[in-house]
Amino acid sequence: MTSILLAQEFKSPTIEYAKVAPLLIVFGVAIVSVIAEAFLPRRFRYPTQVVLSLGSLAAALVVTVGLAGSKLLAAEGAIAIDGFTLFLWGTILVMSIISVLLLAERAVDGGVTAFAAQAAALPGTEAEREAQARRLEQTEVFPLFLFAVGGMLLFPAANDLLTMFVALEVLSLPLYLLCGLARRRRLLSQEAAMKYFLLGAFASAFFLYGMAMLYGFAGTISFSGIAAAIGAKTGVDGLLLAGTALVAVGLLFKIGAAPFHMWTPDVYQGAPTAITAFMAACTKIAAFGALLRLFYVALGAARWDWQPMIWVVAILTLGVGSVLALTQSDIKRMLAYSSIAHAGFLLIGFVGVRDHISANTSAILFYLAAYGFATIGAFAVVTLVRDASGEATHLSRWVGLGKRSPIVASVMALFLLAFAGIPLTSGFMGKWAVFSAAWQGGAWPLVVIGVVASVVAAFFYVRVIVLMFFSEPAAEGPTVAVPSVFTSVAVAVGVAATVVLGLMPEPLLQLAARAAQLVG
Amino acid sequence: MTAAVMPLAAGELAAFGKDPWWIILIKAVAITVFLLVFTIFNVWFERRVVARMQHRVGPNVHGKFGLLQSLADGIKLSLKETIKPKGVDTILYVLAPIISAAMAFVAFSVIPLGPEVSIFGHRTPLQLTDLPVGVLFVLAAASLGIYGIVLGGWSSGSTYPLLGGLRSSAQMISYEVAMGLALVAVFLYSGSMSTSEIVGAQAGGSAVDIFGVTLQLPSWYGVVLLPSFLIYMIAMVGETNRAPFDLPEAEGELVAGFMTEYSSMKYLLFFLAEYVNMVTVSALATTMFLGGWRAPWPISLWAGANEGWWPLLWFLGKVLVFLFVFIWLRGTLPRMRYDQFMRLGWKILIPVALVWTVFVATARATLSAGYQRQFFFGIGAVVIVVLLLSFVYDAVAARREKAEEVEREEADQVEFDPFAGGYPVPPMPGQKVPGLEPAAVAVAAASAGAGSADSSGGAGAEGAGQQADSGEERGRG
Amino acid sequence: MSTVRVLFVLLGAVAVGSALLVVTTRQIVHAALWLVVTLGALAGCFLLLTAEFVAWVQVLIYVGAVVVLLLFALMLTRAPTRPDPAARTPNAWFAAVVAAAVAGVLVTTLVAGFSGAVIDLDRAEIGGARVTGGAVFSTWVLPFEVLSVLLLAALVGAIVLSRRDVPNRPRDAEAARDTEPARDADDRERSSS
Repeated sequence: MTSILLAQEFKSPTIEYAKVAPLLIVFGVAIVSVIAEAFLPRRFRYPTQVVLSLGSLAAALVVTVGLAGSKLLAAEGAIAIDGFTLFLWGTILVMSIISVLLLAERAVDGGVTAFAAQAAALPGTEAEREAQARRLEQTEVFPLFLFAVGGMLLFPAANDLLTMFVALEVLSLPLYLLCGLARRRRLLSQEAAMKYFLLGAFASAFFLYGMAMLYGFAGTISFSGIAAAIGAKTGVDGLLLAGTALVAVGLLFKIGAAPFHMWTPDVYQGAPTAITAFMAACTKIAAFGALLRLFYVALGAARWDWQPMIWVVAILTLGVGSVLALTQSDIKRMLAYSSIAHAGFLLIGFVGVRDHISANTSAILFYLAAYGFATIGAFAVVTLVRDASGEATHLSRWVGLGKRSPIVASVMALFLLAFAGIPLTSGFMGKWAVFSAAWQGGAWPLVVIGVVASVVAAFFYVRVIVLMFFSEPAAEGPTVAVPSVFTSVAVAVGVAATVVLGLMPEPLLQLAARAAQLVG
Repeated sequence: MTAAVMPLAAGELAAFGKDPWWIILIKAVAITVFLLVFTIFNVWFERRVVARMQHRVGPNVHGKFGLLQSLADGIKLSLKETIKPKGVDTILYVLAPIISAAMAFVAFSVIPLGPEVSIFGHRTPLQLTDLPVGVLFVLAAASLGIYGIVLGGWSSGSTYPLLGGLRSSAQMISYEVAMGLALVAVFLYSGSMSTSEIVGAQAGGSAVDIFGVTLQLPSWYGVVLLPSFLIYMIAMVGETNRAPFDLPEAEGELVAGFMTEYSSMKYLLFFLAEYVNMVTVSALATTMFLGGWRAPWPISLWAGANEGWWPLLWFLGKVLVFLFVFIWLRGTLPRMRYDQFMRLGWKILIPVALVWTVFVATARATLSAGYQRQFFFGIGAVVIVVLLLSFVYDAVAARREKAEEVEREEADQVEFDPFAGGYPVPPMPGQKVPGLEPAAVAVAAASAGAGSADSSGGAGAEGAGQQADSGEERGRG
Repeated sequence: MSTVRVLFVLLGAVAVGSALLVVTTRQIVHAALWLVVTLGALAGCFLLLTAEFVAWVQVLIYVGAVVVLLLFALMLTRAPTRPDPAARTPNAWFAAVVAAAVAGVLVTTLVAGFSGAVIDLDRAEIGGARVTGGAVFSTWVLPFEVLSVLLLAALVGAIVLSRRDVPNRPRDAEAARDTEPARDADDRERSSS
């Protein structure tokens, strides 16, 4: 029979199921939760989804920890599983678990989640009011969230351009949707989703063009193949340069580096705050992972070509992030600009590399973890400061918060100090690691600029702290909602991580140093 | 023909691409003529069969058994005045019926009508051409045919055609998915997507070994892959917009759908396309599921049944059976409502086709790897689990039903309000109309009298009219 | 030049020409139809390269489904049978420059990367079902499967954005029952007062 003949010709792929299990668990449970969404009665959906999401992420985390020490190319060379990947997987999974807790929070907004009762109902219509009155919830956010996490896991592990592009899309698409699903201020949220989607699609197109050019240059899209081609071929540098630049645009967009940062403030402000927290932490981690892998493994030999470009981007990013944050009057927008500035610090660590990438890689890994915990915690605090119209994000509403709710204000102050890089917080250790790596890599001008930017940035962080503690509260100021155990845990983990990583960074630093090996 | 200049991958379909130009020409012309004649025959056949089913005679005046009736009708139709409405997009308006008809014809070029025969001393397969992906070609041609309908509807610049065109193309796209999925199982079984190879693969059945007992499977995929066959049968009716799925032409809703603004020759082309499409999907069904031109069982005992020109006869016979089914359906079933139709396509046909495809793939993989025992135990386990689940579901459903019944009874206890919502409403079954009995009896008597006596006045006539309306409504549903 | 080569050039010209018409025609439906011609001509090019499977899938998916859905969207929103004056934009020149630049870069890529590469049509099977399937399900199996996840996510998203659980009018029995007692209570209140 023909088909049996075919079966002999076809060499079935070898998939190292045990090694890619974290990916498979997250994607598999995402699909299961789509099915649950389809068949379960409405009242069972929320608890089922929360359990499924938390369970899958925890299981994936356990498996990831169990994989420690693996070093191989899996799934026909599509993904690289090495210390770097596993560290990032672990970080992303931990941050995702915290984000799920924020997603599942129902206590602060009258017993419903922070997501639109019904996304299809136009804002301000009778249908919307009725959906609100019926206390509907869109529990589809959980499977969408898991899809995004799956994409983020795949992104830094991808070992060829195609897989990387697919991962980029898988992580982006659910985020575009999630951004538009806020329960409050829906027009703002929908605008954010639209902007993110259009600009994101544009950035993806850039990435794709860059891919095409790198393929034209190397004749292959695997990272090792490109690296080999850079060593072997001479004379077609134009393609390599153009391809590198375009691919970089796609990745820098996700990172939120200037001049590709335009979406960040609007999207961070409009998106539901839980999603903002998730994006600020996990997208950045995944995108930096992908950036490092692509540029160190595939394009490492062409370092002299791309380093000047990244230098310019890093300086711009630092400038834009630090200076524009000064002028913000909305806490979410301020945190958005702060995230841009942090992208700049990370880029310093990324670009200041001479011969050995391991110091830079481990510094960036540590910084990402430290920043991720603090940023999720900060956004979690933002969800708690509320008034009748939802979250009170305008800075003027935060005046005197320290008098009204000393604990929340102190926690926020801690996170802001960590962002500013004050010693004894995780932020200081992160900055220290990144700057010292870059200094050794010979990028001392960048380090100087980075230090100046930190000083500028510290000013606006401290300004918020001053607002909170040293001003009289307004008469009809916002109240601080009492969160359920979900948000409390998220904030507590953030605080703990920020303090512990500030006081005892050694274990994580060592782990990052051990993880800083890329196969390819 | 592209096939002649197109370099085929070596080693595949060696019999094709060798014909001299005149044989290709003969084949092309023959297929065109065959389809035209078959259409004329088909119209007559349909009218006769439907008439028979409705205890009428049907056309019987022109020619023997009225055979020339549809020819006369066709000539009359094409000679009618061409009316082009104002505000049409002329190019597309003209192009639409042509696309529709042309694609219907093109799809037939890869259908194998018979084995290798000799035409003027030249050995050649009885098939215009074949591709390694011939079946995809048929599907592609069918999907291009949709443009004729969409554009016909849009270019007319009128509302009903636009809605009819959109409706019909949505219908065709939906059912194309189910159709394609139904065919996947055939591809899996035959290991090919070329029509002639699929016919070849149905020459002999494969053997299956179940717990030591060797079973000879029948050779037709219509039997082996019965679910696929059934899905394809339903999908092909939907794909050709025939009753009970003839929604694009639901007169009561859309006048004549996308054809409303067409007349004369262009209308004829749409008409032709519909009938040729019927033949094409029937021919594809024959090829994929009923062994193509191969002789059916009792005849196949005769050694010469599958040689020479005889197979053309078997092929035509099988196609005619399908056409009869089309007509039978039209004579039997009322038209479905659009939402029911879409639900059938998306919620039943496609999921079933998907599950079946996965099942077939699993079966092929496990059986060919020699895991017979595991496979059948697996099936047994799945069946048991499904049975158990269905018991659970039944129990839950029964309890819910009981609860609903109790609730309904409680609701019935609530007094009937004949003016709920400010308008007079009829009572639900089981509800009593308090204090209105005499009036209700009077109205009933009046409407009963309306049929016999004209003197019963306006109220009675109106009641009868409403009855007629609701009757029509039911008929349409 | 062989027949195949002539045909290839012709199809390429058709593809480029109709692609230009896609962006220059002022009739939005016509633009979609020119896109059909472009995609069809590309399918023809694939055919000439013996990639039958890719060619027919291109027709089936892009021409038969994607553009039809595009037409749906156009026709259900606004698609006059007359030219649309709003289809002209002053930015056209800028767009043309960008498009030309992009095309130039891509052509350069192709020429620099693959000039002189020859496919032996008589021996190699590149775009057939077997080879395509083999590549998709062995080397690229992970991205391929993840793509299906992407599509699933897109589907879920589309449903989230469009499905209405709350009907605009309370026409179902449940809603009717909900409103009933309220009205009764109202009545009772009125009658007692």
